[in-house]
Amino acid sequence: MATTTLTPEARAYNRSWVLDWLTTVDHKKIGIMYIVNSFLFFFLAGILALVIRTELAVPGLQFLDDATYNETFTMHGTIMIFLFVVPMLAGFGNYIVPLEIGAPDMAFPRINALSFWFLPLGGLMILSGYLFGGAAAEGWTGYAPLSEAKYAAGAGTDLWIIGLVMVGTASILGSVNFIATIFKMRAPGMTLLRMPIFAWTILVTATLILLATPVLTAGLIALFIDRNYGGSFFDPAAGGDPILWQHIFWFFGHPEVYIVILPAMGIASEIIPVFSRKPLFGYRAFVFATITIGLLSFSVWAHHMFASGQVFLPFFTFMSALIGVPTGVKVFNWLATMWRGSIILATPMLFAIGFVAMFVIGGISGVILASAAVDFHLHDTYFVVAHLHYVFFGGSVFGIFAATYFWFPKMTGKRLNEKLGKLHFWIHFVGFNLAFFPMHSLGITGMPRRIADYDPTNTGWIILNSLETVGAFLIAISVLPFLVNVVATLINGEKVGDDPWEGNTLEWATSSPPPSYNFEKLPPIHSERPVFDLRHRHDAERLAAQGAEASH
Amino acid sequence: MAAETPTMQVVAEPRREAGMPTPMVGMLLFIASEVMFFGGLFAAYFNSRADHAAEWGPPGGHELEAWPLATILTIILVTSSFTIQFGINAIRRGDQRKLRMWVGLTLLLGVVFLLGQLYDYSTLGFGIGDGIFGTTFYTLTGFHGAHVFGGAVGMTILFARASQGQFSAKNHVAVEAISIYWHFVDVVWIALYFTLYWLK
Amino acid sequence: MSDQLFGFVLIGIGILFVLAIVFAVSSRMGRSGTPDGPPPRGVHMPNPSFLPVAISIAVVVIGAALALRGDYVPANPWIGIPGLVLFIGVVIAWVRSAGHEWHEVEQRPHDDAHGH
Repeated sequence: MATTTLTPEARAYNRSWVLDWLTTVDHKKIGIMYIVNSFLFFFLAGILALVIRTELAVPGLQFLDDATYNETFTMHGTIMIFLFVVPMLAGFGNYIVPLEIGAPDMAFPRINALSFWFLPLGGLMILSGYLFGGAAAEGWTGYAPLSEAKYAAGAGTDLWIIGLVMVGTASILGSVNFIATIFKMRAPGMTLLRMPIFAWTILVTATLILLATPVLTAGLIALFIDRNYGGSFFDPAAGGDPILWQHIFWFFGHPEVYIVILPAMGIASEIIPVFSRKPLFGYRAFVFATITIGLLSFSVWAHHMFASGQVFLPFFTFMSALIGVPTGVKVFNWLATMWRGSIILATPMLFAIGFVAMFVIGGISGVILASAAVDFHLHDTYFVVAHLHYVFFGGSVFGIFAATYFWFPKMTGKRLNEKLGKLHFWIHFVGFNLAFFPMHSLGITGMPRRIADYDPTNTGWIILNSLETVGAFLIAISVLPFLVNVVATLINGEKVGDDPWEGNTLEWATSSPPPSYNFEKLPPIHSERPVFDLRHRHDAERLAAQGAEASH
Repeated sequence: MAAETPTMQVVAEPRREAGMPTPMVGMLLFIASEVMFFGGLFAAYFNSRADHAAEWGPPGGHELEAWPLATILTIILVTSSFTIQFGINAIRRGDQRKLRMWVGLTLLLGVVFLLGQLYDYSTLGFGIGDGIFGTTFYTLTGFHGAHVFGGAVGMTILFARASQGQFSAKNHVAVEAISIYWHFVDVVWIALYFTLYWLK
Repeated sequence: MSDQLFGFVLIGIGILFVLAIVFAVSSRMGRSGTPDGPPPRGVHMPNPSFLPVAISIAVVVIGAALALRGDYVPANPWIGIPGLVLFIGVVIAWVRSAGHEWHEVEQRPHDDAHGH
């Protein structure tokens, strides 16, 4: 299988760059396409969020009607989760994992490309509902019977279903690729317990995707059959059961949220040691905590259904509280890594520390919701919205920006500007907390979620909602220094070499950006920090050589 | 910086692949995801059945008969698992002609199964829109049939490639992978057969 | 605000972003076709291929036939049949290219990292 550049007399030839990117099977290019595509969907769903917040800033229906509002939050949630966070993390996984394990590419490169292309096309299919009588409007959770044909007529929900089946299939194929790559293509000397934590989290995440997403596919197909072929899965009038939808959806849905957070935890576990100049505290504990979270994630799904009255409450409360334990182990380990380290507060580290702090808050509100008795009061209120945004946004999105700043130099050979990065971080941090912290209070005082309008006499709610809208716009504004930074750096940024951050893992042992086959040579691998070991062997050798000279 | 160092070693040996070939790993992982897919459909079936335990059965009072057609179809599909396994044994010995014969036979049995399934559908007297039993029955058997069809496509590809002499004793991972998919499809059918036709 | 208008506005914004950012990123990423030199012994890099894009388009067309079926059962045949034809064509092309790769592998000494 020779590529066109492999003959010894290879010379540069000009292929159109469009064709190059359309036909590539190189994991690095595919990773970049995932990342760019995901950022585009992020901005789109972010605009939808601004629409929501503008509507909610004051009571009364300003410029949306109820039906359009429902479409807006449905599309916001669906796009953010399925077309931004998950593919973004998959994109970083795609670029970085083969490099971190010393492999030349993924196990199945063409299927890798296929997994990518399903994403923009599936996403456009989901969005095309707007052009065919209205996009899906039943929440990203699509509960039956609201999503059945009699209440949600029109092609929008069908397009949503098919688009999600496409995107889900792409994820499943991607996870086959990741697992096969990690098990079969590690460099010599890299045992599983010397593999970087980011690769471990991708491995466990891929396993969750492999096992959970097909269940969603089954449920979506069942819903499609109900809507289109007279099926009776979820329609009580015909003998079906709406609670069945909830079980099927959340059996997928809960592992999904761990799919969303585990790679971000892996990213933090790569960045924090580098910028603390210390090894990761408790590497093995991390590995086992990751595996435990993965296993337990299949045992807690019904905590999303406490209020349905059909769930065995003590078991799910117990398991939901239990899953906080391995997560707590990780938080402790990150803090212990930083303790007595020489902390460098570069932008990736700011986002990584922000990730830990915001995720702890989200985790605490999660444990509160795990208690069924408390959940009965907080279910479907803004408390849940606060929780999910602290873990999704404060967790995954902070992790995504941390990864962007950290690996940008590897991908492009140029480092992003630190001043703009810090500006981005601080506006983002303030805006995020302003937007979402007050939601805890709104939820406790009873403001329901997914409503377009609220009590005009409740001044407390009006003040908090307005503050949240200001916060949302601050988040939007923070994106500007980020975009300016990216474009300006690409045009004229500071060039860097192989290892600008003095990293620990194999991706820093090759050029920035790497050649198409990734590595000319690989360093020996005797620990989970091969590049760190390499740097310090040179120091040791150099000192020995100086000592030898001095003694002459 | 890292590329200049004298202490870095070239990867001296090209990596020898140990253990299961990568395409087989990929197929097993894919099958795991398919198990979960059918798991979701079976869960829907059992949930619906539990909701209606007293009156569970085809609409219109027909009974679902295991004999003769469903049982014959089961025998056909199980036989086809044996035939493809004989084909595997043949190609492991390097016998391309025998492989081609066993693959062809498996394909034939698979097609007969599908046609028999369609015939069965035509005699049942209820459809996917006829209540919860009809919906779950047709969804389960229909998606299984679609997977048999996928397997038949795979068998056709194997037959075509075997006819062009593309398999050798050392190099036939596609045959191994598709055969294991075929066994999976057979196992799902056995579960379906007992669940739909015997579990009363 | 009508849904259609809203949809077109969103798509318009999206397309502008696509063009602006993708252009900015990819035209700065370095010329394609720059030789990296041959990879180390034992590493073979896979060929580029249009088939992944093609099969994604085929699947979208089939999906549209299902979701936009109107009154047809099970799907809109005017959209679905071309989609199916395209899908089958891509699968055949994919299998044939796998066959070509098999031949190349057979002709190379057995020292590589794949299952051959």
